[in-house]
Amino acid sequence: MTTCDLCDKPAIYHDVRIVNNVPNTVHLCKEHAIEAGIDIAQSDFSVVLKIQEQSKSPIKSCPDCGMTIPDYKKATLLGCPTCYETFSGELDGVIKRVQNNKSEHIGSCPNQLGESTQRELLIRNLLKELNEAVQTEAYEKAAVIRDQIKTLHEQKDD
Amino acid sequence: MIDPTHNQLFSSAEAPFGDVVLSSRARLARNLDGFPFVNKSSGDDCAEVTELLRKASIEVEDGISLDWIPIDELDELRAQLFVERHLVSSKLINNQYPRAVAIGKELIRSVMVNEEDHIRIQCIRPGLQLSAVFDDVYDLDKRLNESISYAFHKDLGYLTACPTNLGTGARFSVMVHLPGLKIVKDLGRIQNACKAMSLAIRGFQGEGSKALGDIYQVSNQVTLGYTEEELLSLIADQFLPPVIDWERKARMHIIETNAAELDDRIYRAIGTIKTARLLSLEEAMQCLGHIRLGIATNRINDIDINLVNQSFINIQPAHVKWHSDSQLPETDIPKVRCELIRELLHL
Ligand SMILES: [Zn+2]
Ligand SMILES: [Zn+2]
Repeated sequence: MTTCDLCDKPAIYHDVRIVNNVPNTVHLCKEHAIEAGIDIAQSDFSVVLKIQEQSKSPIKSCPDCGMTIPDYKKATLLGCPTCYETFSGELDGVIKRVQNNKSEHIGSCPNQLGESTQRELLIRNLLKELNEAVQTEAYEKAAVIRDQIKTLHEQKDD
Repeated sequence: MIDPTHNQLFSSAEAPFGDVVLSSRARLARNLDGFPFVNKSSGDDCAEVTELLRKASIEVEDGISLDWIPIDELDELRAQLFVERHLVSSKLINNQYPRAVAIGKELIRSVMVNEEDHIRIQCIRPGLQLSAVFDDVYDLDKRLNESISYAFHKDLGYLTACPTNLGTGARFSVMVHLPGLKIVKDLGRIQNACKAMSLAIRGFQGEGSKALGDIYQVSNQVTLGYTEEELLSLIADQFLPPVIDWERKARMHIIETNAAELDDRIYRAIGTIKTARLLSLEEAMQCLGHIRLGIATNRINDIDINLVNQSFINIQPAHVKWHSDSQLPETDIPKVRCELIRELLHL
């Protein structure tokens, strides 16, 4: 049996919703639902929960530069490279929106990358080329690219 | 020291598709690994980044050779000259912390240090030369990367202060002259094409500016998930060919159906420039735009199109001051601009 998220009593309300941009399942017992000011007959308690959740959670800040999401929203600029890790969940939607739903870099890379990253990026570029070769029915070229990818994968396993 | 009046750059007459495309530009955004981005940096961080870049740009030789200019050592007029030439941004000038620009002697390349990102590499060339400008910035990028380590993420690419520059960090843009489409009232087509291809369209002076002289700046909006070649090709191979064709056809159409009106615009523009005693930037740009259209359509042939192209830049406020008197009061610029433009066009 599912228990309430806030105590050990059995939950009688179940809902799945987006809280702070993360899909979240919420279970509440009768008492806690009433405490949250929710009318059992009403279905709008998602809004109430969302507000509570946000005000409860401490403001996350970047360990390297101290940037917070409210700071970012004001400046529309991140504070340092680590911000992209710290706020990956929050930024995911923003990045997809401004970048045509793309989320994987292809193209040139700096010279300082480790071998495995280099290989991963190379495979990504080749997969794209392979796809294009197949679409244009350049099968001989596709076969060559496929071999290259295979070799790279084998190196990875070594 | 660099001569900001150097004009080679605007010789579009011989450049590819120079009748419509005034210039091509490429820009790469980069940040140093291990430092906060500029907006979260302390003065010391900025000084350190500046020093690393100074050393790295001195090492860039081999045909390029960059002049290193700390912004605080640049007088206001010279700074504005570089801004009007798009070699330096107003943002860089207005920033407070240590910052600099490295400018190539031919005034086509520049590396801004501590603008929105630690490094903004850019190059401009006349006409449609996106591949050439990309080669230029790519070359500089690789050379700087020899002594500097860039902030990079395997999925997000080059990490930039603003998520709109992630991935390649590459922004390609072209300046296009579209007076024909303006006259036949068909600019909506360009706007729709831009929208469909995720391209941004702006006026002559960038974001939010008016299309002075019927000149528009078109650039890629997306920077992540496509190779540099794909982004470049989007503008050079997909957007521009039909646009150049539409503009040329619009010009032909005007000649065929309403040559008198076209000539009227061209000769009024020449007349204005010959006789005006006060010229605002807007009016001067409009006149130059019509004269340029007249030359491109062979309605007039006694004015050099390159001189017109150069004039678009040389009549900007700081350039007017540079040509006459660095202490010239703002209120005298429209008057001096008239004399200057006549001199520039030999009218
Ligand atoms: Zn409970
Ligand atoms: Zn940070």
